[in-house]
Amino acid sequence: MSDVRQISVFMDNKPNQLAGVMKILKESGVNIRALSLADTKDFGILRIIVNDTDKAVDSIKAAGYAAAVTPVVTISIPDSPGQLSRVLDILGGEGVNLEYLYAFTGASDKSVSFVIRVDDNEMAAEALTKGGIIQLTENDISEM
Amino acid sequence: MERYWNQEIECASREDMKKLQDERLVAQVKHVYENVKYYRDLMDEKGVKPEDIKSTDDLHKLPFISKADLRDAYPYGLLAKPLSECVRIHSTSGTTGRRVVAFYTQHDIDLWEDCCARALTAAGATNEDVCQVAYGFGLFTGGAGLNGGSHKAGLLTLPMSSGNTERQIQFMRDLNATVLCCTPSYAAYIGETIHEMGLTPDDLKLKAGIFGAEPWTEEMRRSIEKSLGIKAFDIYGLTEISGPGVAFECSEQTGMHINEDHFIAEIINPDTGEVLPEGEVGELVFTSIDKEAFPLLRYRTRDLCVLSRKKCSCGRTLIKMAKPMGRSDDMLIIRGVNVFPSQIETVLIEQGYSPNYLIEVDRVNNTDTIDINVEMNPDQFSDKIADLQDKERKLAGAMKTMLGINPKVHLVSPKSITRSEGKAVRVIDRRKLHD
Repeated sequence: MSDVRQISVFMDNKPNQLAGVMKILKESGVNIRALSLADTKDFGILRIIVNDTDKAVDSIKAAGYAAAVTPVVTISIPDSPGQLSRVLDILGGEGVNLEYLYAFTGASDKSVSFVIRVDDNEMAAEALTKGGIIQLTENDISEM
Repeated sequence: MERYWNQEIECASREDMKKLQDERLVAQVKHVYENVKYYRDLMDEKGVKPEDIKSTDDLHKLPFISKADLRDAYPYGLLAKPLSECVRIHSTSGTTGRRVVAFYTQHDIDLWEDCCARALTAAGATNEDVCQVAYGFGLFTGGAGLNGGSHKAGLLTLPMSSGNTERQIQFMRDLNATVLCCTPSYAAYIGETIHEMGLTPDDLKLKAGIFGAEPWTEEMRRSIEKSLGIKAFDIYGLTEISGPGVAFECSEQTGMHINEDHFIAEIINPDTGEVLPEGEVGELVFTSIDKEAFPLLRYRTRDLCVLSRKKCSCGRTLIKMAKPMGRSDDMLIIRGVNVFPSQIETVLIEQGYSPNYLIEVDRVNNTDTIDINVEMNPDQFSDKIADLQDKERKLAGAMKTMLGINPKVHLVSPKSITRSEGKAVRVIDRRKLHD
């Protein structure tokens, strides 16, 4: 089962917010593997997967940001038509509800990776394993 | 065991107190009529002579004086003693208009500091205590009043003034401060900073705090008490009447005893000026009966409040005033509904948010709008947009129940709203810019 932890950070809807967090990561020498930015009228949420989760969270929180760590499902699939559709069919078939997902560069140029946020990680992991989908571990990601 | 700074006065029988008030009031009216032209004109206009005031029962015959009068009479128009007998000036912050300056003789300073000594003693302080005064010093009465009261009561006094919060905490730790005096918003900020520095109340020796100079709620009191590990006492005052210490809280924490040997309180109907019976809500009016340099008679504070003579468990017989529901200056009228920032503070603390917030009021297409910026509580943060939007909706719903109007609630980053080291600015009313 995937043990990958995602860091999410509350962002005010004003200039220099993302830049502030990036500066913190730069100063702690943390590398970003995957990133997504969700926005509303009032605020945004930055979501990242990094090579050193603990170090990144500590430095972001120390700078006074509201941040959370959430376990997410992370998969690697071949970079060819119909692959994501297959994954979604597997999850839908088991009644897993998807909150959001985002893609990032895979371990090789023949694959692509996704962060998947669902209600029930265990149920999703089981369904994906059964369907033969490769799930990444935090170790896989930090070694990318 | 309850301790008193001046038991004879603080626990006097009603008869003895009234006798003292009667004597002082009669003499004061005469002093003011003879020495202040502005007052003489006001009284003549109303057809009242000093001889008409024979006791406190005649107080209602005197004209009111308001903030507008103080502005008209600025700076010397209400001075009742020659400047050569005055030793100090204090001034209001002037945030709600032109500054008001108040003058003090040495007698006035002494009685004011005595009031603050009563407040400190009621909070349990003795000469064994170390008192950190983190109110601003200068023209503001907060620092000077509590500092003087602390000296008078024999406490070892740290005149820190406000600001430089980490240094405040350093001194607090190194010098074992047991009593803290500052504005409630600054006390909350000190509590927050202590937590951020990785300290707990156990790292400090604080046991009591005296907080005033701005409105604060019961919820905020509990939150400060928890974050600093103390008992928090309210104190009331205004520069026009002397400064902090006009009224102070005792161990019962259910309202503030008014130092009525110096200040007589009345509650009036703010629209008609009619004096209301004890227990009814109205505007608080003060008469200072033994100040020399700047004695105001029937000064309208614009604070909405209730008085009570119910027996207090602390043994004091001084009349009690409830925490003011808000200064009428602080009250916002939004779409015809009266809104006090303190109501918003109550909702925020109940829902687990920081009491640091900013209200923005504006008028769009002739309709008032109210936006409340609330700091995200890091413990309640979620990676899901829907969760955060639910939180905003829930807060807006609780606000609607409390205020009777629908505000827009916006979550903002923790600590992104400016912290106050003195009186907090909670409201930006842009409607005023359009008028």
